[in-house]
Amino acid sequence: MAQGRKGKLNYRCPRCLMREIDMDMLYDAEKAEYYCLRCSFVGDEAEVLRLNTQFREKYGARTIRITEF
Amino acid sequence: MTAFYVNIVHRPEMVPEYLQKEAEQGKVEDLTRGAVLRESLDIFRTQQQTAHDQGLRTTIQMTYASLFNAEAVAIAKDHHARFGDEIGSTFLGLQCAEFREQFRSKELAIWLFSIEDKRRIVDAVFGKFHEVFGFYPTSTGSYYMDAELVNYIKASYPMVRAAVATCWEEGPKAYWNANNSWYTLLDGGPWNPWIPSKRNIHCPASDSDDDIGLVAIPHLSRDLMAVFDGPGSYYGTHPQNLLRGMVNEDRELPYFKNLVDQYRSLATYNDGYAYNMMYVGPGWMSKSGRWEADYALLLKSYQEGMAYYGELKRQGLAQDLTMSEFADVYRRDRSYTRPESALWRDILYSSRRQMFWYADPSMRFCLDMNQGGALVDLRPYAAKLVRPCGVGTKANQDASYPFLVQSLYRAGYFTHYAGEGAVKSCKIGHGQEQADLCTCRTQASFSVEGDTRVVTLEPVTIEFADFSVRVQSIFRLTEGSGEIEIVRRVFDSTRPGVEVSIDEYITACYGTTEYPEDLTGVRLSLIGATGSETIDYAYQCREAELAEAACVEAVVPQVDTRLSLRADGPALGYLREGFSFSPMYTLGVKKTIVEKGELRTWLKVEKAS
Ligand SMILES: [Zn+2]
Repeated sequence: MAQGRKGKLNYRCPRCLMREIDMDMLYDAEKAEYYCLRCSFVGDEAEVLRLNTQFREKYGARTIRITEF
Repeated sequence: MTAFYVNIVHRPEMVPEYLQKEAEQGKVEDLTRGAVLRESLDIFRTQQQTAHDQGLRTTIQMTYASLFNAEAVAIAKDHHARFGDEIGSTFLGLQCAEFREQFRSKELAIWLFSIEDKRRIVDAVFGKFHEVFGFYPTSTGSYYMDAELVNYIKASYPMVRAAVATCWEEGPKAYWNANNSWYTLLDGGPWNPWIPSKRNIHCPASDSDDDIGLVAIPHLSRDLMAVFDGPGSYYGTHPQNLLRGMVNEDRELPYFKNLVDQYRSLATYNDGYAYNMMYVGPGWMSKSGRWEADYALLLKSYQEGMAYYGELKRQGLAQDLTMSEFADVYRRDRSYTRPESALWRDILYSSRRQMFWYADPSMRFCLDMNQGGALVDLRPYAAKLVRPCGVGTKANQDASYPFLVQSLYRAGYFTHYAGEGAVKSCKIGHGQEQADLCTCRTQASFSVEGDTRVVTLEPVTIEFADFSVRVQSIFRLTEGSGEIEIVRRVFDSTRPGVEVSIDEYITACYGTTEYPEDLTGVRLSLIGATGSETIDYAYQCREAELAEAACVEAVVPQVDTRLSLRADGPALGYLREGFSFSPMYTLGVKKTIVEKGELRTWLKVEKAS
C-alpha cells in the first residue's frame, strides 16, 4: 500500500463532518480514494462531494437573504 | 438613536497556527522559513487592503513574532499614519525563534501558561512593542484572557483599555469539533462586549471596585442559536469559518449578511446599541486554500463580507471604530447594572425557533421558545468565582465559567431514562395528568417597562383528557435585582370550575462539561413560617415539601452559589434530591388554581459566601 498524502484540496471526512468533527483525510493516489483515520470512511472525490452536498441540506435558509428582523 | 459599531481586527502572524501544520506534509518545522513569512505578510497586506478599499479602519494587533519583522512594523506604522488604524498588541502568534529561545516552549495559548510565565511573557511582548513603536499598546487580546492575566497587565501597563477576551461558547463543542485537540475550553461568557470583573473575566463587573479596567470584546460575533448546539467556528462573523461550516451554496454566502443584520437588530433590545467584530487570522486566507475552499473563494468571501460593512458605513448605518475608540464609546453612558439582551431567531435552519439571551452582573441565561420558554442555560455570575487557569492551577485548561443549568450537556427535558435533566420549566396538571411547557413550542416578543425588560410569550394550549386551558409565560427582568420574575397565567379553561395545578421548577446541577460532578455538599432547604426542611445531598433520592414555603433554595458550595425560588403568595414548596443515575437537584413551587389564575415566582442567583 502507498503512503497516504494530502489531496489537491484538503478534504475533511464527510462522515465525521456529519457529527461535527473536522477530520482531515488522506489520499491514496494508487486507488484514487480518500480515507479517514478516525471512522472507516473511504470514497473517491465524487462521493465526498455528494456527502458534502447532503451535509449542507440541514441549512434550510442557506440561500436566502433575510432582511426583516 | 441607533448605533452599530464595528471593530475590524487584523494581525500579521508570521507563522500562522494552520500554516505550521504544513510540517505534517513532509516539511520539517522551521519557524524562519522564508516562504511562510512571505505568504503571511502577503495575507496581512491583502486583509488590510480589503478593509481600506471599503473605507474601513482597522485595529492592527501586532503579534510578538511580527515585532521582529521590520516589514510588518513598517506596514503598521504606514497604515496608522495614512488610514488611522490603531496599532495594538496580541498574545496570539507568540511563536517565533526569539520566543522559543526565551521561553523554551511550544505553548501557543497565553492563558495556559503558569502565572509566572504569563507575567514574563507580558513584559517581553509589551517591552518589545515599546522598543519598536516608542509607546505601549492600548488594546490587546487572545482567544481568552483570564482575569489574573489582565489584572497583571492593568497593574503594569494601565494604559490598556480594550482586549479581545473570549471566544463565545468555545468549550467542549469546540474541543469535539477539532478532533479533541483544540484547547479553547471557554464556555460561559457574554456574546457581546462587556466590562469584566476583576475576579473572573467571564462575569460583567458589578461596580467600579469590581471593574477590571478594560472593555472586553468577544472574538467574533457568533450565531446565538447555531453556536449553542454547534461549533463556534462554523457560525460567526468570519467568512472563512462559514465556509468551514459549509453554510455556502456554490460560491454564495448570504448567511454572512443575515448574521450581520441580526446583530444590527439587537439594538432593539439594548437601548439602540449594536456591535460586530470581524477578526480573521491569516491562516484562513492561505494561498493553498483551506479544506474544501480554494483561495479564490476564501478571498471572495472575505472581500464580500468587508464590502457589506463598507456599504453599511457609507449608508450611515455602521461606525468603524478601532478597539480603543470602541472601549471609550462603550463606557460613555453605561451603568454597571445595564444588561445585554438578545431575542435571537433562527437564520440558518428555517425553523422559526427563537432563543432569548440575557447577561448582567448577576447571571447569564438563555430561554428556548421551542421549549415553551424553558431556561436551558444558567451561569451564576453573582458568585464571581475566582477560578485561575493555566499550568499550576486546579482548572488548568478548563477556563469555562460553571453553569447551574446547561440543557445540552445535561439532558434538559428529554432523558433516556426516568431520571431528570437540567432545565427550568413549569408543569401544568390536573388529577393524574400533567403537561410540561417544554413540550409547547411558542414565540416571544420583547418590551421595556421603565427599568424592567419583559419577555412575553404567546399563550400555548394544554389539552387534558376532557378540557383544555391556555397558558401564558412572562419573564420580567428588573435591572439590578439579580432575579428573574416568572409569571405563569392560566386562562380560557373550557370547563368551568376545574382545578389546575401550576408547578414551577428548576432542575439543576453544576459543571463546565458534559460529565457529572460530585454533588456531595450541596444543601437543599425549604424555609417557611411554619418550619423548615433540609436535605444534605447524598444521592439518596429523598424528597421534602412544605406548605406555604417562603423560600426554596440550594446552596452549591462547589460554585459558591445560592439558588433560590420564592412565590408571591401561599404556595407549596418542594425539594428533590437526585441519585447517581440522575445527578440533579430540583427546587419547586406549586399552587392550585380554580379555572383561571396565575403563579408568580422569582428565581434568584446569589454568591453563597
Ligand atoms: Zn471519518
